[in-house]
Amino acid sequence: MDISLCWRQPSGMVGSKRMRMPANFRWLVATFVLLYLLNQVNSQKKGTRDLKCTTNNLQVWDCSWKAPLGTGRGTIYKVCIEDRPRSCHQLEKTNIKIPALSPGDHEITINSLHDSESSISTFMLNEKNVSLIPDTPEILNLSADFSTSTLYLKWNDKGSVFPHHSNIIWEVKVLRKDSMELVELVTYNTTLNGRDIVHHWSWASDMPLECATHHVRIRCYIDSLHFSGLKEWSDWSPVKNISWTSDSQTKVFPQDNIILVGSDITFCCISQEKVLLAQIGSKNCPLIHLDGENVAIKIHNISVSENSGTNVIFTTEDYIYGTVIFAGYPPDVPQKLNCETHDLEEIVCTWNPGRPTALVGPRSTNYNLFESFSGKYVRFKNAEVPTNESYRVLFKMIPNQEIYNFTLSGHNPLGQSESTILINITERVSPHTPTSFRVKDINSNAVTLSWHLSGSFAKINLLCQIKINKANSGQELRNITIKGVENSSYRVAVDKLNPYTMYTFRIRCSSETYWKWSKWSNEKQHLTTEATPSKGPDTWREWSSDGKNLIIYWKPLPINDANGKILSYNVSCSSVEETQSLSEIPDPQHKAEIRLDKNDYIISVVAKNSVGSSPPSKIASMEIPNDDLRVEQVVGMGKRILLTWHPDPNMTCDYVIKWCNSSQFEPCLMDWKKVPSNSTEAIIESDQFRPGIRYNFFLYGCRNQGYQLLRSIIGYIEELAPIVAPNFTVEDTTADSILVKWEDIPVEELRGFLRGYLFYFEKGEKDASQMRGLESGHSDIKVKNITDISQKTLRIADLQGKTSYHLVLRAYTDGGLGPEKSMFVVTNENSVGLIIAILIPVAVAVLIGVVTSLLCYRKREWIKETFYPDIPNPENCKALQFQKSVCEGSSALKTLEMNPCTPNNVEVLETRSTLPKIEDTEIISPVAERPVDSSDVEPENHVVVSYCPPIIEEEIPNPAVDEPGGTSQVIYIDVQSMYQPQAKPEEDQEMDPIVSAGYKPQMRLPINSTVEESAAEDDIDKTAGYRPQANVNTWKLVSPDSPRSTDSNSEIVSFGSPCSINSRQFLIPPKDEDSAKSSGGGWSFSNFFQNKPND
Amino acid sequence: MNELAARAQPQGPGAELGFPLPAPLCLLSLLLPSPSLAAPISPAEPISQAYSLALYMQKNTSTLLQTYLQYQGSPFSDPGFSAPELQLSSLPSAAVSFKTWHALEDRERLSRAQRAFLALTQHLQLVGDDQIDLNPGSPVLLAQLGVARLRAQGLLGNVAAIMNALGLPIPPEEDTLGLVPFGASTFERKCRGYVVTREYGHWTDRAVRDLALLKAKYPV
Repeated sequence: MDISLCWRQPSGMVGSKRMRMPANFRWLVATFVLLYLLNQVNSQKKGTRDLKCTTNNLQVWDCSWKAPLGTGRGTIYKVCIEDRPRSCHQLEKTNIKIPALSPGDHEITINSLHDSESSISTFMLNEKNVSLIPDTPEILNLSADFSTSTLYLKWNDKGSVFPHHSNIIWEVKVLRKDSMELVELVTYNTTLNGRDIVHHWSWASDMPLECATHHVRIRCYIDSLHFSGLKEWSDWSPVKNISWTSDSQTKVFPQDNIILVGSDITFCCISQEKVLLAQIGSKNCPLIHLDGENVAIKIHNISVSENSGTNVIFTTEDYIYGTVIFAGYPPDVPQKLNCETHDLEEIVCTWNPGRPTALVGPRSTNYNLFESFSGKYVRFKNAEVPTNESYRVLFKMIPNQEIYNFTLSGHNPLGQSESTILINITERVSPHTPTSFRVKDINSNAVTLSWHLSGSFAKINLLCQIKINKANSGQELRNITIKGVENSSYRVAVDKLNPYTMYTFRIRCSSETYWKWSKWSNEKQHLTTEATPSKGPDTWREWSSDGKNLIIYWKPLPINDANGKILSYNVSCSSVEETQSLSEIPDPQHKAEIRLDKNDYIISVVAKNSVGSSPPSKIASMEIPNDDLRVEQVVGMGKRILLTWHPDPNMTCDYVIKWCNSSQFEPCLMDWKKVPSNSTEAIIESDQFRPGIRYNFFLYGCRNQGYQLLRSIIGYIEELAPIVAPNFTVEDTTADSILVKWEDIPVEELRGFLRGYLFYFEKGEKDASQMRGLESGHSDIKVKNITDISQKTLRIADLQGKTSYHLVLRAYTDGGLGPEKSMFVVTNENSVGLIIAILIPVAVAVLIGVVTSLLCYRKREWIKETFYPDIPNPENCKALQFQKSVCEGSSALKTLEMNPCTPNNVEVLETRSTLPKIEDTEIISPVAERPVDSSDVEPENHVVVSYCPPIIEEEIPNPAVDEPGGTSQVIYIDVQSMYQPQAKPEEDQEMDPIVSAGYKPQMRLPINSTVEESAAEDDIDKTAGYRPQANVNTWKLVSPDSPRSTDSNSEIVSFGSPCSINSRQFLIPPKDEDSAKSSGGGWSFSNFFQNKPND
Repeated sequence: MNELAARAQPQGPGAELGFPLPAPLCLLSLLLPSPSLAAPISPAEPISQAYSLALYMQKNTSTLLQTYLQYQGSPFSDPGFSAPELQLSSLPSAAVSFKTWHALEDRERLSRAQRAFLALTQHLQLVGDDQIDLNPGSPVLLAQLGVARLRAQGLLGNVAAIMNALGLPIPPEEDTLGLVPFGASTFERKCRGYVVTREYGHWTDRAVRDLALLKAKYPV
């Protein structure tokens, strides 16, 4: 500001230079500024300085300056405005108010006189160098509404002192607490128009005003378009503040506020004590400390309250303080607003309140239903309990007004909402439920319905719907339109009903311009009255078996034709000459018998109910014979039987098919069916039909004079298999054939049309054949299919003599095979064959004997030569006589005695089984068994002559318990050593081993055991004698079936290698040791194991 | 216990009438002391009747308090809520030192109970009205408050009968509530209701002890 003011100095070109300074020469400016400052320092020593002018109303400028240095009081200034006449002012102060100067530069000279020294300063004054600073505004009043936490500010703009229209900007500053924290700074624009105007401004505090002192200051800024100088803000007004003077010690604010869910709110507590805790609901909140012990809490995004509100509690050392806040919603737009009338007297408007407001009781939503044409309204006080159900309000109809424009508005402390509906009430009629509903007879086909309907319907027509339910039938809806009346009864006739029928009626109504049906009225049952039967009963006649009586049958009339309860029937038979009649046959009887002399009558049957008689139904009695009649067969499909025939132009009235169960006796009649004369087929259907039962069907054609039997048919609904087998007998039996004869199956048991028989036969005894069935695929079974059902016998040829045959016979129908009947027959013996079979072998045997004898006789010399050659006597041999002396002692000295010699053979003398069981099982050593079976086994030490225990019986499982099936015996035969066939086992056992030194078996079989070997050597020493010439150590015991004993003490060694030693061994069972003398044939060496089951 | 609690329910004004149980009938007879008791013949019978009623009331007081708190929202409805510092100046406190209580004369004892239950009936009415605004959709709470008020009135009548029987002057009925702060804030109303329902329980407990003492003193 100082810089912008310039005055003319001798060297004072700086100011004007500066103002015209190009922007890009800043460095130059800096240089000039420096020079200017130097100049100023110089000038200050001489004259006045710093002329500053301000204005607050654009009319008067207030200019001030600084006195020259070194001058003080008593200085006189002469201020002259150079371009104005008489404009010099002499004064002692350093400021002067001058009228506003016109735009442009004005030269001001200030001559200061002090102690006879004078100095003249010249200033150039321009409006642009003048500042517009408004007067400091003053707050007229600051007040507060604590309930709404609103501050109200009032001040005067003092516009009268300002001549021009100007915009003025106010700035209001709100400060809080003693520490004057700025909480709000707002600007407020107004205009000055030459008059004093009091302005109002309000401000809502986020914090309750009670809790802290609030201070307010304002300032302003005049934005005048007519002023080109500087415009500045005024100073701040003096502070005004608002504080709450409590009437009680402690309070929490705000109390009982209702706010929108999701808002932010601050609660505060004025307390003299320290507040320890603040909570909203059960949630703690951080404390905001205010002046003193006052505190506040700030809640963001508050959630919806429960009915009794949300509690906010401040807890001090010894008390709790609190408040309740109700967070809810403004009313939702009323939904589904609907207005209708039940009676054209009152309009019922219903709506759904939509989203619950969460505000109840005095805070709940009130609704107002306003009708704009009539200007009337009704109020709806919200139900105390907020529900989701519809709200409902009644509006009394305005006479002669049909169009209604309703506006429903709901309002609560948080807001309001509304919805509208425009209706023509005559199109919104939903009548009440019809009451007093009654039915009255008109005749047998029509009734009158009457009902009451409350409502003023005189101006409209009603559309009513009658629901007619017929017993055992469907329902029918009939719509009727009737003229509406005032609160009265309505009556309508319903026709086209059936006589004597139970109907159920219900009714509901609507307006003709349909909007909604009323509810259905109560239902009324009504039986229509009777009428005469509409037609005569369906009639048939049969002649009795003796042909003298005519039996007349008729069927009960169907309910549609009876038109009432049939009480009786009248039957009359009329011929040309006479009429017989039977009257008043009571209803349950549907048959009458009349004795007639002749054949040619017309029978008529009439049914009667309480109203009258039916038209007669007539039928001719005559039966026209038919010579060309064949019995046909038919099988039904499903539960029906289809009969077809060729059209016969002679048949003028109708066809009748009657049927009966074939097993019933005459007169055969189950039912009949009439078909028109132009039809050629009929489907017979009856619940009485059963599968497997044969029925007879008779087709009659009707001519003028009577009925003619056209066809006779037997049939089944469904064929089944016969339930019995044909009874058959064997008529004749020879050695190679059987003649079988059978009987028919009764019709009842056949259950279908017989299609043939199946005859099976096979060889077989009675017992064996039971084991297998008679499958046709079985190779032994021969089957004959007899399709000729008239055939009753069958001869089975090519059989074997004296053989049992199994014969089976079955019948079959299309329904399947019947059960079988079987029989066993043995063919006769063939005697010739037997004789031949005996004679031929005998003859052959004799012939062979004779030939052999003959041959032997012829060749006897050759035989002798071959089989019995002469043996030379050694005694006659001279060469042997040189030992005579040696042999003197002996009377029979012989070199070699050719005693009969036993061949070297080992023979199995007896085995238990023909099939030796070869097993690679490990056999328990007999030695191991010995401690148990010691009584049965030879002593261990009888090695030398132990030829004897070749067969060891082992009872493997449990030797002590001899359970059948629980044990098994293994018997094996082992060759242990050689023995001399001559030696008797008994003697050997008694022999001392040493004594037995003599002939020894030529082989010992030491097994790979040194102990055994040493023991064996001991034995060898003891039994020194003949030795086997073979080294048996090299033999391998390879036989898989040899039992191997690993027992070192065992002397019983077995081996399986064939041995070429020239000795013989016998494998003999211990039981037959005595028979071991048998001279066996060849070398046979094997071991036998035999599992002998105990059982 | 359960049976009584269950039967207590239908006795409120909102309950169905004609509930054919003996308990309501019994209570009815207790609520309406017969005029014959006015004669100071024997105090034992009215004491016994009052004692029975007090015992019966005692079984439901905690239910009333819990129901009341449950409808006031957190932290009132939080489990274990207790604010003994809250008191009502218009409602005499039941708390008394045992020595003082034991030394009370019959007259003083009975007139204190009389004053207390008179105050309780008026306060229960006030609390009921407050709750109609705050919890209009809670018939259970409103019914229980109504029932409690009726029972307090019943006990009041019984105590009067005892005093009558003992020949003691019955203190005149007075307006204990005085000038009700109708502008009380919702929070104050909630607290007021809490104190009333709490003190109702305390006073009922004390009445049981009072009457037991009298019962022993005046045997049948």
